[in-house]
Amino acid sequence: MRRALTILAAALAQGLAITFGLFLIFGAIPGDVVDVWASAGDLDAAQQAALRAELGLDQPSWRRFLAWVGAALAGDLGTSQRFGQPVGPMLWDAAQASLQLGALSGGMGMLLAFGLCLAQAAGSRTARLAVEAINLWSIALPTFCVGVAALLMFSVWLGWLPAIGGLLAPVIILGIDNAGQLAKPLSEEVAEVAALPHVMAARARGLSPLWLARWHILPLAAPVAVSLSGVMLAGLLGGTLTMELLFGLPGLGALVLNGIQGRDQPVVLAGLVVAALAIVLVNALTSLALAALDPRQRWRE
Amino acid sequence: MIPRRILPFLAAPPAMAQAGPRRGILRYATLGLDTADPHRHTGSIAVQQAYVEALTSIGPDGGVEPFLAERFSLSGDGLIATFHLRPGVMFHDGSVMDAAAVRANIERVRDRIRGGWLAGAMRLITAIETPDAGTVTLRLSQPYAPLLTSLSELWIVSPRSPGWDGTITRPAGTGPFLFGQWQPNLRLQAPANPHYWRPGQPQLEAVHFDLRGDVDKGIALRAGDLHVADVAQDVATQLRADPRFVVQGLRDTTWYFLAFNNRRPRPPFDNPLVRRALGHVLDKPGFMRFVAGEAGVVTNQMVAPGNLYFDQALHEADPYRAPDLDQARALLREAGVDPGRTAIEMVSWQEPYAQAAVQMVRRLGFRVTHTPLDDIGAQRRLGQYDWDICCMASGPRADVFLRWVRLMSDGPNPVLWGGIQDPELDGMIRAAAAEPALEPRRAKYAQAWARVAEKHYFLVLGHAANQIAWRREVRGFTTGFTWSPHRADGGIAATSLG
Repeated sequence: MRRALTILAAALAQGLAITFGLFLIFGAIPGDVVDVWASAGDLDAAQQAALRAELGLDQPSWRRFLAWVGAALAGDLGTSQRFGQPVGPMLWDAAQASLQLGALSGGMGMLLAFGLCLAQAAGSRTARLAVEAINLWSIALPTFCVGVAALLMFSVWLGWLPAIGGLLAPVIILGIDNAGQLAKPLSEEVAEVAALPHVMAARARGLSPLWLARWHILPLAAPVAVSLSGVMLAGLLGGTLTMELLFGLPGLGALVLNGIQGRDQPVVLAGLVVAALAIVLVNALTSLALAALDPRQRWRE
Repeated sequence: MIPRRILPFLAAPPAMAQAGPRRGILRYATLGLDTADPHRHTGSIAVQQAYVEALTSIGPDGGVEPFLAERFSLSGDGLIATFHLRPGVMFHDGSVMDAAAVRANIERVRDRIRGGWLAGAMRLITAIETPDAGTVTLRLSQPYAPLLTSLSELWIVSPRSPGWDGTITRPAGTGPFLFGQWQPNLRLQAPANPHYWRPGQPQLEAVHFDLRGDVDKGIALRAGDLHVADVAQDVATQLRADPRFVVQGLRDTTWYFLAFNNRRPRPPFDNPLVRRALGHVLDKPGFMRFVAGEAGVVTNQMVAPGNLYFDQALHEADPYRAPDLDQARALLREAGVDPGRTAIEMVSWQEPYAQAAVQMVRRLGFRVTHTPLDDIGAQRRLGQYDWDICCMASGPRADVFLRWVRLMSDGPNPVLWGGIQDPELDGMIRAAAAEPALEPRRAKYAQAWARVAEKHYFLVLGHAANQIAWRREVRGFTTGFTWSPHRADGGIAATSLG
């Protein structure tokens, strides 16, 4: 319990530090939302100054940060400066799209990686080759390039998939990429575990390969799988961005990028903070899961 | 499916126009939508015309056409404008579009909207008279030639629209489509207005505006995800060769220019000889070919050939129509400037054409530091006036005055043209805008242009039209003078899907 609290407290501190860092970085980008309107051509200098005062953009950054954090902690993420819409619903819509893509591709990646490693532990040569193949694929082919190729082939040439807003292509591309990152270290761990004396003894007793994999190999390889999944999930949050942009999915990445382009500070901050907190949360959950799975972690305390 | 929240609009009872069979959802993607309040329309010039209309409309040649006003007249002295409203037009919320509603809209823009050239122009209106429900008379404090074209962007919204007293959140206009569900930067779903005043229109079930700026529209058009979209010049060239598409430019053009820092000019560009030298080093035909291929037009004016205000004689007398490096070097020698020792700060957007301009300036030997910035970064940097030259472009406008206004001391937004401070030029532009008759107005604008050319505030490189492409199954669609998708002469109301 104490360990869980420590992990969560550290996560919270990280979250706050990241938020402040993001605020400073956003402040360093030249221009603000009034420049966005001015660039559309309709504001003279006096009108711009009045709008800045109205939006509080003429205040020092620490004051704006405190005001924003105060409101955010009270559950008010503010109003989009550019669109005049509340940030909460915009963020929720975007987070749903990102979660959908992340969950589907992450789930597919894990299923594929675990399935192949189980099959490999059960002695399948094809599975071992497949692990090598998807590992090479994920290292050698950036998802962005595969995405462009998929767009040209399946959307433009064959006309099977939509070019914007389609989920199938990005889920498969990210899923294979995740599986490739996960499967190789996992399969090595599986091979190591398979060579342990008690597993060899079990095999010598004539236990079926599936039984061996499920009851003797997987439990020992699971902690590695969990920590790898943590890294993968954190990476997935970043990885969805390119897919969102390429396939026109209205996710968190697209929301934040558009927010940056439009200097929409409340949207950018809320989006980045949610993403950062999600990564911190995934890391914390991974640590907790590891502690639960591997008794040695608890003994170390 | 039609979102639930627009159902109240559909419940509006009057059946003005007989409903034809409406089929298909048009997926349309050009520019974005920044606000639901049509009177605060900064930067939202290509979407909201679907659900709101104005008294006038800009025709394909840039002239003014009747729209919600079925006819209008201007007194000889330009001080009284009378509009006779189209009878029987209803707002989407079921209320009547009448003189009181029009008056309320003009007053809202004039008295309650702070930013914008339109609000400024409306302040010239000293009295709004409504002798009967179908007539509106405007009295002006001084003649203002762009009045009728300006009114094409003063959208008439029902004063009962939610948010009228602050920021309108659900505009009830008179347009062929309704303001449906809006997700900023993503989409606007605009279902057909079943009670639209023009019989037989709209023919579509709905228009879905794709507001994402970062999708590859060329690919989306080819994949059939979009029906109509704006495309880059190179994509336009490819699509023209493909029988599945139609490509047409906007009728008004985007103009490209190289401007000097006029607000705080620094050496060597405080010397007119150096500005002239730069004029001679620019390869305008090469630049425009780079921008738009064969569709690029080389000229030295802010409007393209064919425009009402284009001056053929001035065009032919352009001293910089072709590059002349020897002349440029001679001018630099005369000015005593050694380009090899002269550093130049150049600002631009992140556009390839700016690179072409940089290379041309470097041919003289100048040490150019080029800072390409995104729209907003450039806006901020240009406003600091700590640079020497910039290479920019500016798009279609409903009236030529809206191009001229950027050259005035107060702008609005004069930064792209280096923040010119020239009271004499201000006076010339004001005099032209206050001239009700066309020919004298043309002459006055020409005088102002002569001053701009003489002072070398900026150098025009040429013009190219923004390109709109649509799939062959889209019937009846045409481009307009500006980005507007719906006009008196056509657009999405007259469009069907085959």
